[in-house]
Formats: sequence, C-alpha cells, structure tokens
Amino acid sequence: MTAVRSSLRLALLSVVLAFGAIAAYVMLLGVPMVRNHPEGYVIAFAIATFLPIFALWRGYRPRWPSWVALFISSLLLVAGAWFDFVGARVPDTPLAFRTGEAAPDFTLPDAAGRPVTLADYRGKKPVIVIFYRGYW
Amino acid sequence: MAELQGLGAQLSEAEQAGVEIVAISPDSNEQSQQVAEGLHLNYRFLADRDLAVARRYGLIHSAGGPNGEDVPKPATIVVDRNGTVRWFKVAHNFQVRPDPGDVLKVVRSL
Repeated sequence: MTAVRSSLRLALLSVVLAFGAIAAYVMLLGVPMVRNHPEGYVIAFAIATFLPIFALWRGYRPRWPSWVALFISSLLLVAGAWFDFVGARVPDTPLAFRTGEAAPDFTLPDAAGRPVTLADYRGKKPVIVIFYRGYW
Repeated sequence: MAELQGLGAQLSEAEQAGVEIVAISPDSNEQSQQVAEGLHLNYRFLADRDLAVARRYGLIHSAGGPNGEDVPKPATIVVDRNGTVRWFKVAHNFQVRPDPGDVLKVVRSL
C-alpha cells in the first residue's frame, strides 16, 4: 500500500518539478539570478527524470505513473539540455571594437523615425549600448 | 524586452538623466518604446533593420535566428563621455544577460 502511494507520489512530484521549473524560469526572466542560470531548469529536469527511475528500480507499483513521468521528464531533459548547451550558444567570432578604443559610430532611426547618432552624446553623457535579438 | 527589466529599473531618476540607454535590434520597436515610456525609463529603441551596425561591431550571429536568419549577438557596451568603450559583455548563450548591477557599477564609476 505504501509502495503504491510512493509510486504515484513520486511520479506526481516529478511532473510538478519539471513543469514548475519551466514556469519559474519564464516568470522570473526579469531576475538576473534566474535568467543567467538557465542550467537550473536542466538540473530540475534531471532530478525529475531520476525520481521515476528510482521508483521503477525500487519496484514501486503501479508502474504506469513512473513510466508516464519518466517519458515526460526525460523528453524535457533532452530538449532542455540541447537548448541550453547547443541551441542557445552564441559562437565566438572576432569583435570589431575594444575596451579603451573609440566605439564605432552609427546613426539609426528611433521608434519615432528620428535619427540618433552615437557621436552626438560625446561630451554630454555616457551611453549604454545594448544589442539584442528583438524577439528574445 | 526582458532586458528592459533590471537596467533601467535600478537607476534613480537623476542617474537616468545622466546616462543614455540605447537598445538596438532588427525590430522597429514602437511597442517597446511605448512600454519603456510607460515605465518612465529613458530607453531609446533603435532599428538596425539590415544589421549594418551589428556588423560594424562584429556582432553578427550568422544563421542564429529561429528561421536560420542572421541575428545580432546579445551584447552590452558601456561608452563613456569621450566615446570610448569602457566595458562590454557579449553573450555566449543568448538566454544570459549581464547582471544590471555590474553594468551600473561601471556607469557609476565614469
């Protein structure tokens, strides 16, 4: 009887942990500690995968909750690990600017279409230039 | 948009007036600008449609987009009043951004 409860409980814990990790990461993207440690969700998926394996190894019954949880969590583990270690990698290529040297100048339109030139801030204020992908 | 949170939000009003935050992406960003203005953040969103400026900085991640298109490498560069690069960080994983605290430490030291 305890073994049955353990099987269901561990499977449920596994699924909650896996999806909870996704939800937490997405909701806390604005928090640098979370955002900058995407390996956190990979570790959560790994633990979520380990739980049903443990249940199966110990012979907890019924077996189906463990198999379902194992299927979901191992899929997320493979996808998450691939994304974090391969998909999201940015290759190292030579930069065209350097600390201590002049920043390459540019003129680009702002959201209202007005041109903005980096050199116009010279002698006025420092500029934080952020390049980003737009949709991420 | 996620980089909006953090950087601007950690600056006091006086500090916001003393530094310009310029966010460059291939998008046109009218919406981002509205959001930033709603939050009273002095971000300026610039459209680098053809990635010419990203290319000038050596910040092209070729075929890095979801449809195999070129995208800019996420990068944060602090330029001082003389137009000199004082600090920068280029992402090795596009999910990761520099800690706003680190960026502001550099800006405050200028």
